[in-house]
Amino acid sequence: MAGSVVGAGLIVEGEFTTDEDVLVEGTLRGTLTSAESVSIGGDGVVEADLRAQSVVVAGQLTGNVSASSRVDIQAGGRLIGDVKAGRFTIADGASFRGNVDMDV
Amino acid sequence: MAYASVIGSTAVIRGNVSGDSSLQILGRVEGDVGVTGDIALGPDAVVVGTVSGARIVIAGSVEGDVTASEALLISETGKIVGDLAAPRIGMSEGALVRGSVRTEGGGSSNSARGRAPASRSVEADEERSRPVVARPAPRPVANLAPASSAAASSGTASSNVAKPALKRPPPPPVIQAPRAGARARKRMLKR
Repeated sequence: MAGSVVGAGLIVEGEFTTDEDVLVEGTLRGTLTSAESVSIGGDGVVEADLRAQSVVVAGQLTGNVSASSRVDIQAGGRLIGDVKAGRFTIADGASFRGNVDMDV
Repeated sequence: MAYASVIGSTAVIRGNVSGDSSLQILGRVEGDVGVTGDIALGPDAVVVGTVSGARIVIAGSVEGDVTASEALLISETGKIVGDLAAPRIGMSEGALVRGSVRTEGGGSSNSARGRAPASRSVEADEERSRPVVARPAPRPVANLAPASSAAASSGTASSNVAKPALKRPPPPPVIQAPRAGARARKRMLKR
């Protein structure tokens, strides 16, 4: 169970900060910071700069991502923005445009 | 009851929350919350801004007006500094409320208009609003939502209930939540 859920139909605009998991099935604009993982569901739309331990994108994410652990774009997911993470995967069928920094 | 959306206990949102979802708030929101579904504020939840929804249960604290289109329930741990408006309002013993309370019309102006504006209800409104007019000191809480308080008073525009609104100082301007990273995104999209 995620600590916070932005459900389908909900729109959050602004600065979102939490120490728990976040699941986005709705819309989030601004910035999102989580000490745990952030999941963007299939219908989720995030237009935000995102900072978290790990990030899973199955929906749409526009913004720069910085993850202390990993970033995964799942099939059908779409990410436009720069990614900074130790591990980064793009599944077959996912869309991505941006720069990658894997701390090499 | 399960809520479609949850703002977790460690979550802090500086900005507005809106949409067509039911919402449980356990953390802190500094901004306006307005959804078409139900809202529940947990005992540790804090909202600095207006709250509006269909059925609202408040066990936490709110600094701002609370408007429910169906019902508003304030639990014994609930604390509201702001005006309350809902067709049905329940208040438990121990709940703290500072502000005017109106059990009529509901949140949106449509529900107020939907009822026949009987002359009896107009009198009741005037009677009820009198202590508000006589309130000596201005409310300490900044009224963060001029829009919703305007909607609340315009809901009963047929009567002359707008008096208390005139006594109030003009609401401060709404400050848009910062869109951090907007410049970076624009730059990115240009590429």
